Amino acid sequence: MYFILEYSQFIIEGFYVTVTMTLVGLAGGVVLGVLSALGDVYGGKLLKIIINSYVEFFRGSPLIVQLLIFYYSIPAITGVKWDALTAGSLTLMLNSGAYQKGYFKGAIEAVFKDQLIAAKSLGMTFPQTLRHVVLPQALRIVIPPWTNEYVSLGLSTSALIVIGIRELTNVAVSISAQTFRPLEVYLFIGLIYFVWITLSLKVLDWVYNKVKIPGLAVSEVM
Amino acid sequence: MEVLACKGLRKVYGDLEVLKGIDFSINKGETKVIIGPSGSGKSTFLRIMGLLEPPTEGKVFFEGKDVYGENLNLNMIRAKIGFVFQDPSLFRHLTALENVKLGLKVVLKMSDEEATKKAMETLKLVRMDEWADYYPAQLSGGQQQRVGIARALAMDPDIILFDEPTASLDIELTWEVIDVMKDLARRGITMLVVTHEIGFAKEVADEIVLMDSGRIVESGPPEQMLKSPKTERAREFLGRLLGGV
Amino acid sequence: MIDPNDLLFLLQGVPATLAISFLSFGIGFALGIPIAVARQMSPSLSYLMEAYEKAFRGIPVLVFMLLFYFGLGGFVPFLKDPFTCAVVALGLRSGAFQSQIFRGAINSVDKQQMMAALSLGMTKTEAFRYVILPQAFIVALPGLGSEISLLIKDSSYAFILGVLELTKHADILRKASRSFVFPYLMAAVLYILMTFPIANYLDKWGSRLKTKYGLR
Ligand SMILES: Nc1ncnc2c1ncn2[C@@H]1O[C@H](COP(=O)(O)OP(=O)(O)OP(=O)(O)O)[C@@H](O)[C@H]1O
Ligand SMILES: [Mg+2]
Repeated sequence: MYFILEYSQFIIEGFYVTVTMTLVGLAGGVVLGVLSALGDVYGGKLLKIIINSYVEFFRGSPLIVQLLIFYYSIPAITGVKWDALTAGSLTLMLNSGAYQKGYFKGAIEAVFKDQLIAAKSLGMTFPQTLRHVVLPQALRIVIPPWTNEYVSLGLSTSALIVIGIRELTNVAVSISAQTFRPLEVYLFIGLIYFVWITLSLKVLDWVYNKVKIPGLAVSEVM
Repeated sequence: MEVLACKGLRKVYGDLEVLKGIDFSINKGETKVIIGPSGSGKSTFLRIMGLLEPPTEGKVFFEGKDVYGENLNLNMIRAKIGFVFQDPSLFRHLTALENVKLGLKVVLKMSDEEATKKAMETLKLVRMDEWADYYPAQLSGGQQQRVGIARALAMDPDIILFDEPTASLDIELTWEVIDVMKDLARRGITMLVVTHEIGFAKEVADEIVLMDSGRIVESGPPEQMLKSPKTERAREFLGRLLGGV
Repeated sequence: MIDPNDLLFLLQGVPATLAISFLSFGIGFALGIPIAVARQMSPSLSYLMEAYEKAFRGIPVLVFMLLFYFGLGGFVPFLKDPFTCAVVALGLRSGAFQSQIFRGAINSVDKQQMMAALSLGMTKTEAFRYVILPQAFIVALPGLGSEISLLIKDSSYAFILGVLELTKHADILRKASRSFVFPYLMAAVLYILMTFPIANYLDKWGSRLKTKYGLR
């Protein structure tokens, strides 16, 4: 399998794109997820409808189709041209945000109403309550489901191949086409994904154990 | 001096009239105990007096000022009215100490050092200083409730409202909490307490108030209320509460 | 504005999409339950099963499709066909996912139930078959609903192998009609029309049965 090492430069670049796109999608998804969860829990009727249509669209259709829409359809409708990386990042953020909204909503609702009233009785304003009572708990509670989102988004970045982004799977396709040795190439690339995801899970687990607070877990709160 | 009062208080939820016109007042240093059957509106009354929800009709006065009539900062008044809930409602991500400090820092803008000092003093008062670094989930119900009292007390409120603080505790834990509350009453803290712990009322209350179906039926000093209530309704309810049939 | 012929053309991709999804769900179901039960009953098998689950949780399903089609297609005759490769890859992954769903569901069934069944003289296998599994199945329904809709969405990876499913039809239509908007948006709508009712229905059905039998 040494022939693969000749392509290590390619592979490293592809891996870099895969990881970066995952992190970009997750980061954008956190912002969108928190905002839409807050809107869905505390917002007005119209806002709830808008948020839930957004979530329904991105959770109900395939990422591949969403990527094609953002790469081909949206520029055609708006006349704004953007490159594949922009279209890909936007799609990943919106897609992940739709899933993360569900996790954050569950976590926000798990911060029981009695604590909100207790905060009010101390004279705390709503923003103060959000910042000091709701979010610190919700962010901790959300880590385990959020870990799943990290894994599933990380693996779905392979869909970026449909708009031509040179991520890890796309690199594998090229190497396999050049070397005519698909079996080794895909096994090797699969191994890279596997090691990356396994290590990431270990790190996230470590983080969770670091910030964990007795009695504040999904199973006990929700 | 009058701390908290209300006039013509009504509260309606949908079609349900829960409070049907209540006049009430409590002075500095007094302890008043509210009793009454389930569903009579005690909690609702307390929540409105604690400014946790507005009345449908009527006025609430804090230190003589019409709370909803003038353009007052409600949060600043809430900070001066302590509230202890039936379920301790502690912030679950914070230790006992941090629970007490939060209001001091966020609302009263104390420095971390000041807040820690004040919080530790208050935890000592409720005999919880040794548990300062424990999280709510690691404390018993009675201990949590005492931290809840410390959280309210540390703000140096002008009055503390208690809504059945021992209702979800078993007997021994109830004593722990009642002892702490008696202490506070003797220190001259103004307290309005919904409870059916008659021993507490007998020992420290200046007045017992009986509520029924959204009205104050009768009120008076404990000796009189417990021995010779004037109304038939009070005789009946107290008879049952004190162990008659 | 919508050309009915275009819509009709897109709809022709739906059967293949549904076929991939349901066949792979079937494979996943057939694998999931035995694996879940085996992991409960035999610790020695557990390692192997765990490795299988971890592989499919840690590697993109697209990589498996490419591996099967291009990598193994030369040696294994039935993997010469892209449709089969898509079904097998999705089916194996679904087996890993469904085994997790069932394991969670089995664990949620009260331990007392097993003891009660054993005390009646049932064997462990009988207890599983007649007491634990029926209850676990009800608890698993919402999870199975999300699994089906996940498969419907991920069947679109088959497009990359050239399978003539819904996304491929949308792609062909875009190239043929030079319309960049209708094909993909309409495809998205069709996917939503497929995923939403199924997941919703199984979720509702599951909750109804749970309340009915007092399960948690
Ligand atoms: N937010 C609300 N919405 C609708 N109805 C309410 C609300 N809060 C209280 N009620 C109703 O008002 C009535 C009085 O309730 P409240 O909790 O004040 O009684 P209580 O005297 O404290 O009873 P308990 O001794 O059981 O605590 C009850 O019938 C209750 O169902
Ligand atoms: Mg009450």
